[in-house]
Amino acid sequence: MFYLSYMLSEVRRRRGRTILTALGLAVGVALVVTVSAVSSGLDDAQQEILAPLTGVGTDMSVTRPLTVSSDGQGGLGDLSPAEQRRLRRQAGPGPGLNLRDRKPGTKINADTFSATSQLTFASARTAKVAAINGVESAAGSLTLSANHITGTVPKIDITQGAGGPGGSGAPPTGAFGNGSIRFDARSVTGVDQSQPDIAPVTPSQIVAGAYFSATGPSRQAIVSSAYAGTKNIAVGDTTSLGGKSFAVIGIASSPIGGSASDIYVKLATLQRIADFTNQISAIQVRAKSAGDVSAVASRISASFAGAQVTTAADLAARVGGSLKDTRDLSSTLGRVLAIVGLVAAMLIASLLTLASVSKRVRELGTLKALGWSRGAVVRQISGESLIQGLLGGIVGALIGVIAALAINATGWTLQASVADTATTATQAAGGSPGAPPGGGFGLGQAAITTGSKAVEISTSPSFGLILLAIGLAVLGGLIAGAVGSLRAARLRPAAALRTVE
Amino acid sequence: MTTPTDLPSKDDAAIMEAATDSAPTPAPTPYDVSVPIYDLQGVAKVYGSGGSAVTALADIDLVIEPRDFVAIVGASGSGKTTLLQLLGALDRPSAGKVMCNGRDIQSMSEGELSRLRRDVIGFVFQQFNLIPTLSARQNVELPAAPTGMSSEERRTRAVELLAAVGLAAREDHLPSQLSGGEQQRVAIARALMNRPRVLLADEPTGNLDSATGTEILALLQKVATENEQTLVLITHEQAVTEAAPRVVTLRDGRVLSDTTASTG
Repeated sequence: MFYLSYMLSEVRRRRGRTILTALGLAVGVALVVTVSAVSSGLDDAQQEILAPLTGVGTDMSVTRPLTVSSDGQGGLGDLSPAEQRRLRRQAGPGPGLNLRDRKPGTKINADTFSATSQLTFASARTAKVAAINGVESAAGSLTLSANHITGTVPKIDITQGAGGPGGSGAPPTGAFGNGSIRFDARSVTGVDQSQPDIAPVTPSQIVAGAYFSATGPSRQAIVSSAYAGTKNIAVGDTTSLGGKSFAVIGIASSPIGGSASDIYVKLATLQRIADFTNQISAIQVRAKSAGDVSAVASRISASFAGAQVTTAADLAARVGGSLKDTRDLSSTLGRVLAIVGLVAAMLIASLLTLASVSKRVRELGTLKALGWSRGAVVRQISGESLIQGLLGGIVGALIGVIAALAINATGWTLQASVADTATTATQAAGGSPGAPPGGGFGLGQAAITTGSKAVEISTSPSFGLILLAIGLAVLGGLIAGAVGSLRAARLRPAAALRTVE
Repeated sequence: MTTPTDLPSKDDAAIMEAATDSAPTPAPTPYDVSVPIYDLQGVAKVYGSGGSAVTALADIDLVIEPRDFVAIVGASGSGKTTLLQLLGALDRPSAGKVMCNGRDIQSMSEGELSRLRRDVIGFVFQQFNLIPTLSARQNVELPAAPTGMSSEERRTRAVELLAAVGLAAREDHLPSQLSGGEQQRVAIARALMNRPRVLLADEPTGNLDSATGTEILALLQKVATENEQTLVLITHEQAVTEAAPRVVTLRDGRVLSDTTASTG
């Protein structure tokens, strides 16, 4: 108690120096708190963006993209003749779309399905992937472009409408010959409803209506909210697909980077109506352990020639925009700034403590003359520095919290963007230019919701962070105290008492 | 009747034993009056080295017995303060032996020297050297803080010592609220806190007016006599020299004279 009383009285006596030291440490601590809180807020914001990309439980997806080298070679030549025939059939125009065989004035009313840039493969592959060591579960899905054409074969030139399927949710539509032929292209994905957690559309995405039931009717559809908005579709309505009527049972959200198919139906139903029997275009995979994802991905790649395995980590690398830039800045410059600030604060505190000890040489000499041991003198100096550190920590944490709250109050928003990676693959393969990129994005999605989304950054310094910051300041005080104590411990009492103050 | 500063006590004996635990030679019994409190043999102190070396003390032989009252006088630069620092175990000699309470300070560790200063020696400084942020009572408590004495005992003893030096009503005053004489009284009380065997005073009246100086000198003599303590003080004051039974005069770092007044 006596020591504490002495320490406090000395801290009070040297008020100016105490305030200066504590403020120095406080600035360093405030920097740490603010930068860490901002960094945490940016992480949360990125997680908000990434969550729909990674799905609820999907760790990776397996697709088989059609790749073309920069010289335009490769890809097709690597496929077997049977695969080449299937690709031509899947990617080429459907029977109702070949206008050259039709006379002008002929009525057209046709539904066709074509594959996207991903090659389809046998459904049986799902079981093989599921049997790979480290795989917990696997589910197949099939994504196709569904084209609905109506009208009369024109005599005149063609006006080009919007692009192909995919994009930002508004489905491409257009008309030929002054509107005499209308087409409606939609992306449609068949999902394995028995494994909803790793399906391209999950129950958590349903914003209205319900998810597929395992035993319900086969002609049920879930439409994306963007498509529903464009076509004015609501739960309970019906939508036509492949000439069949589907009951819309749910509306699914399509967050940025997430699922972008316009319509989801049951996998078996889509395979049947599109004539893609036993074909899938992606397998969603969940690993047994998050730490095994990379190893499992390698095993799948090794066992499935031509397969592309996309993991959640790959997806994270695709998020761009000011959110990513700021997060990068925060994780590099911000952290460096915080560390430099903290080190500078500790250095200043050490120098001030050293200066304080130099001014107290006679006092410390007196203590030694009175029988205070070196340890007792060191404890006195260190204790005073510790108090200053604690003060600096509390003030710094307070400033940091206020700064974080101020950032929240400004409603700081950043843009997170997910870019398309369109390649020429689909064009070379005869697909439409607007088709999804090779390999796709999103875990097994045929197309993603590209574009950008504003995310409000919410910084909230955690209790643990505040404690850590105060701890850092106390550490700073201890270091300063140690530096000062070293000087005090070396004082020879006889020389100290000769000092004139 | 006992006074707060009566000697010896069981605590004192324990402290003395602790202070001499690691002595290379068997320590004398604490407060053995047959052993000189100080025995200086051929002591020299040189500051610096080579051509810039300054000899502060040379060939000092001096024996101070328990309960002696010795005044050390000499012109400025004669080595008085250096001698007092050696007696106070604040410094080590360059040559010779300084035996304090039967032990050679040269052979003592820093920790042992600290305990020696804490338990055997009480210092009174010319400029009082009180801690400005502590009250009079807390200043008096200061030497006892590292001893392990309970806070209640420490406080009680400090209050009693302040009363003994005539400052009963001033215990909560800061040094800045006390006169010079009062501050020196606090310093004397502080020097007595750990019941030392010897009081070393460096010009204790040097910063006081003559009337106050006389009072302080009388007080020092009184407490030293009451507690059977050895009193060694450095002074320029003629009055102090006249009051001291033994006067050691230094010149150029050597003992010029060592005179003891005849008694009776």
